[in-house]
Amino acid sequence: MPKKVLVVDDSLVVARQLEQIIGGSGDFCCIGSVRNGAEAIKANMQDNPDIICMDMNMPGMDGLTALRSIVALDKEVKVVMVTSLGGVSDNFNEAMKLGARCVVSKPFVAEDILRALRAL
Amino acid sequence: MAVKFFGQYLVEKGVVSREAIVEAIALQDKQNLKLGEMAIAMGLVTPADIERAHQNQLSRDMKLGDLLVGTGILSEGQLAEVVARQKATHLYIGEALVQVGALDNEQLARQLEAFKIDQAPYLGESVQLPPGLANSALWEMAVDLTYKLVTRVLGLRFRPGTCQVVTQLSAAHQVAALDFAGDAKGRYLVAVSAPVQKKVAQALLHTAVVDHEPLEVLEDCLLEFINVVCGNVAAKASQQGSALSINPPVNIHPPATGLPLAAQEQGLCFPIHLEDGDLMELYLVLPK
Repeated sequence: MPKKVLVVDDSLVVARQLEQIIGGSGDFCCIGSVRNGAEAIKANMQDNPDIICMDMNMPGMDGLTALRSIVALDKEVKVVMVTSLGGVSDNFNEAMKLGARCVVSKPFVAEDILRALRAL
Repeated sequence: MAVKFFGQYLVEKGVVSREAIVEAIALQDKQNLKLGEMAIAMGLVTPADIERAHQNQLSRDMKLGDLLVGTGILSEGQLAEVVARQKATHLYIGEALVQVGALDNEQLARQLEAFKIDQAPYLGESVQLPPGLANSALWEMAVDLTYKLVTRVLGLRFRPGTCQVVTQLSAAHQVAALDFAGDAKGRYLVAVSAPVQKKVAQALLHTAVVDHEPLEVLEDCLLEFINVVCGNVAAKASQQGSALSINPPVNIHPPATGLPLAAQEQGLCFPIHLEDGDLMELYLVLPK
């Protein structure tokens, strides 16, 4: 059964790219996308995804703040950060310490995302 | 495909586990003293001095070192000694991974070599900026990375024009802006015509047909492009020892007559001449 993935990104374009990559993979299915950290916390509780692909730099609640809450509330869900800030050592370190499984930098190609998801 | 941090690269490639990297980061956190901690360890200041300086930072936009010198707690020479000691004793992530047993020295050397090759497309090239510009190397890198990502992400061939000093932003079909904060402050903007906006959308959406896309999606493509560029600029700055943060990108709407810059701002325009004659303009608006 495909693993359920929630996409969290304020960019419509990135959300669409991720939905296409995930949907076309065969082993994952995208159950929806939301546009900031607060919506991600709510969607995680309502939809119970297996994996969350989440941006860091979003208006409203950012990805690291949301990551902290999501991991505190849900020990099962696996979070992959997908962000243009992945190469910033402080951001990478913080995300990993908070419980992210991997940090994928933008710009990405489909292989970057699928490799990260399949390694979980 | 992006500017990466070595630890991130190793996790992405599956060379080290998440658990190992978290252990190595914890070791770094323990061993790599922050500026205030190092100054205390060297006996140059007291914990109370640092606490007062941190309190001062809440109301003054200054780095801790500058504030300690500005308030006479440290001399310029002492600050230089503290920074030099920090550099000399810094434990890098690769070394930390060796210490926690996730890599041996031979594997580290091999992975560093592979990392250099992965990151070679992002090695800096020279961009001409006006003399006397503060944080010149950083802004030069931002312009250079923009050129590289116009090629790699948008797939557009272009000729960079000469940097021009400007006093206003021109009106354009779309102007996307993003603010940098931290060790350097400035606003990064890209202005495009409708045909160039379409080219950006074609590249990001991986399709030749974008005419049916709503304006919101077309605009979002340019916003995401500058978000990617500026995130990579922050990553490269981090490799070079500068801390930059970015805000989410926004659209701004200069009037038809142009948007004059404030007296305390200076504007630089970098024309990007696309091969079919279209023009994309990169602006940096920096404090004087």
